[in-house]
Amino acid sequence: MKLLTANRLTDGLVLWYADGQWVEDAAIATHLEDAAGEALKAEWAARETEVVAPYLIPVTDDGTPVQRELVREFVRANGPTIGQTTFDTAKQFKRDEVFQ
Amino acid sequence: MYVYDQFDHALVRERNAEFSDQVARRLSGELSEDQFKPLRLMNGLYLQLHAYMLRIAIPYGVLSSVQMRKFAHIARTYDRDFGHFTTRQNLQFNWIKLADTPKILEELAEVEMHAMQTSGNCIRNTTTDQFSGAAKDELDDPRPWAELIRQWSTIHPEFTFLPRKFKIAITGATKDRAAIRVHDIGLHLTPKGFEVYVGGGMGRTPHLGHLIKSGVPGEKLLSYLEACLRVYNRYGRRDNIYKARIKILVSALGPDEYARQVEEEWNTLDQAAIDAPYYEIDRIRSFFPDPAFADKAFDQAALDRAKAADPAFARWVRNNTHPHKRDDHVSVTISTKPVGLPPGDASSAQMDVMADVADSFAYSELRVAHDQNIILPHVAKADLYDLYQQLDRVNLSTANAKKISDIIACPGLDYCTLANARSIPLSQEISKRFADADLTDEIGELEIKISGCINACGHHHVGHIGILGVDKQGIEFYQILLGGRADEKAALGVITGKGLPAEAVPAAIERVVRLYLQLRTSPAERFIDVVERLGRETFAEALHEPA
Amino acid sequence: MSQLNSSATPTLIAKDGTRILDGWALLNDEDVVGADGPYVLGFERALTELPGLNGKYGVRVNPGDDIRLLTPYMEKIALVEVNFPGYRDGRGYSNARILRSDLNYQGEIRAVGDVLRDQLFLMLRCGFNEFVLKDADPEGAIKAATDRFENAYQTAADARQPIWALRQKLTEA
Repeated sequence: MKLLTANRLTDGLVLWYADGQWVEDAAIATHLEDAAGEALKAEWAARETEVVAPYLIPVTDDGTPVQRELVREFVRANGPTIGQTTFDTAKQFKRDEVFQ
Repeated sequence: MYVYDQFDHALVRERNAEFSDQVARRLSGELSEDQFKPLRLMNGLYLQLHAYMLRIAIPYGVLSSVQMRKFAHIARTYDRDFGHFTTRQNLQFNWIKLADTPKILEELAEVEMHAMQTSGNCIRNTTTDQFSGAAKDELDDPRPWAELIRQWSTIHPEFTFLPRKFKIAITGATKDRAAIRVHDIGLHLTPKGFEVYVGGGMGRTPHLGHLIKSGVPGEKLLSYLEACLRVYNRYGRRDNIYKARIKILVSALGPDEYARQVEEEWNTLDQAAIDAPYYEIDRIRSFFPDPAFADKAFDQAALDRAKAADPAFARWVRNNTHPHKRDDHVSVTISTKPVGLPPGDASSAQMDVMADVADSFAYSELRVAHDQNIILPHVAKADLYDLYQQLDRVNLSTANAKKISDIIACPGLDYCTLANARSIPLSQEISKRFADADLTDEIGELEIKISGCINACGHHHVGHIGILGVDKQGIEFYQILLGGRADEKAALGVITGKGLPAEAVPAAIERVVRLYLQLRTSPAERFIDVVERLGRETFAEALHEPA
Repeated sequence: MSQLNSSATPTLIAKDGTRILDGWALLNDEDVVGADGPYVLGFERALTELPGLNGKYGVRVNPGDDIRLLTPYMEKIALVEVNFPGYRDGRGYSNARILRSDLNYQGEIRAVGDVLRDQLFLMLRCGFNEFVLKDADPEGAIKAATDRFENAYQTAADARQPIWALRQKLTEA
């Protein structure tokens, strides 16, 4: 399974593909079959005025990214792990950190 | 400091109009991301992990209180209330919207600032000694030359699409605080003209710069630099991004052959047309006079009483003041590195206080040092205690300049798309491990530098202890380098021992430091001295958990 | 969403904003120099054949070519096409500047390849005077590049005096 993610052109914020639209909360990202994920990635790669550089993240059965993507996607999904904006994204959606 | 005239103002205004137009064309779809990327980078705008990051140029690290206050305003209005001072003496905002950037650049232009050429494959912000114009050991002031280079390199039509980024540093003192040997070009300003070092750099293949010419007169500096850049632009590698810096070219040709080609190119150039004449150099120099030093009655006994009554103040005076060319003044380091917090970060409130104390005690001038601290270059000794107390109220009084907790760290994987591992959490853990100020003082001067990837923004190659984050199958690992230094005896650290997981690093560093304390012959023998005397291998075993 | 601007058909345009007809033919290496010129020769071919040719020719220069090898043939060259295979390759700027400032070349310098409106100001300063430009509004692009910056800090191959010279004039006035 895969998650489709990108950054929004206008503000650069991290986006996740969920049920036909882009959302900022990784917790509700849709788990896509590999082929469907590839097709959506190709479709959105051409829509450059909306999102920048969409890519797929492989996820395991329990919904966390596979080992190689873990730290990077953990940080993208929740916010920096340090400083004044520690876990700002997770806090914004009033949730615990995802992809632990 | 330098003050814009009508020409400088117009050029920044025109550049901002150009970039506004480029942003609008990107938003409308006329420009692709691939086309837009080099344009936005040349205006300091990156797309990082969480948002756009805007890197603002602080030319040669010099800024006024008015400019610092503007940073505070931008942090509050357009970002999440803080900014990050970098190892290139610049400032980064981490949460910027693309559509806001034209407005931010307009605000910066009001205070004679811009973000031009803070990224991209062009000539970047020239860096210099943070104590320029103030230090006791200074031979000549590098700031006018840095300003001359700033103007010459700004929108240089021939050198805007170089093989790779290009960084110049200048020092004018006996001690090199500008790390000139690890820059693409390092300039040493001497009474006999400039010594020109070329081909230094860190990154994947670190090199120390080679002296290719001595005695370049100031009035010929620009044409000589132009020759250096032209040879690089024409022959630097463009087939492999990791081999595109000038250090690879100089190493492939050999420094003598590179120097010969530069000399040949220099002789073909119309030097008289390129070099700014003496009256322009004099004009620029006239902007860097000494401040009108206040003759404040300085009472050594009163300072001693304050120190005796407040040991934390005494420690701060001991560690965070630097000898000034006037005996009744010092330069002050404001540490951005309190124990357990990200190096280089400052809130808008802290920026406002730094601006205020600069107005009250430092002739309204501040500097950003390449170690990410803020400097007040000229402070009357009579004002030290008042200054200290105001800084202390906003957590800016940490007394750790050049100490083990004065760590340089790049933003790392908490922000940066290039990083393989996080840097800041590790720096926080190390500084917590050495939170005991007495222990810190006993250890003395020790520079730790952490990079989250091979690009070496955290200067790990020249840390007395360098730390490089790597990715091993999704786990963050850290390689330890020992023996690097960036000063006038520049040396590159060497990876010592095996890579360690993050949680093992602070203890490993403590074992190394404890061993150093046993091995040193006196407190005057610094960590780096012992590493050089006994060799890195002496410390290799201490890096690993005793079995 | 508007069209990607660089997808427009390339237009040959001069630095004064007038469109020009291309009378030059780029010769493939196997083609013989006949009567249907004028011809643009590849760089290697130009070095080999120019010594034996009379008249005026064009030469196409790629980024890695050493422009100074053309020094003996300046009299026989009326057009240099400086190719930009990708617009981030900046060697063409040095080539143009060497032609103008060092070799004192007076003919046409034409930018070809990945030539976009955002490079035009730099190209004008380095001595280019013709562009095969990928832009939906080539005249507008030339005008924008010409008007964008009134002055510049450094001496290059255009007519601008560097800002330090303008400052001095103000002082003397």
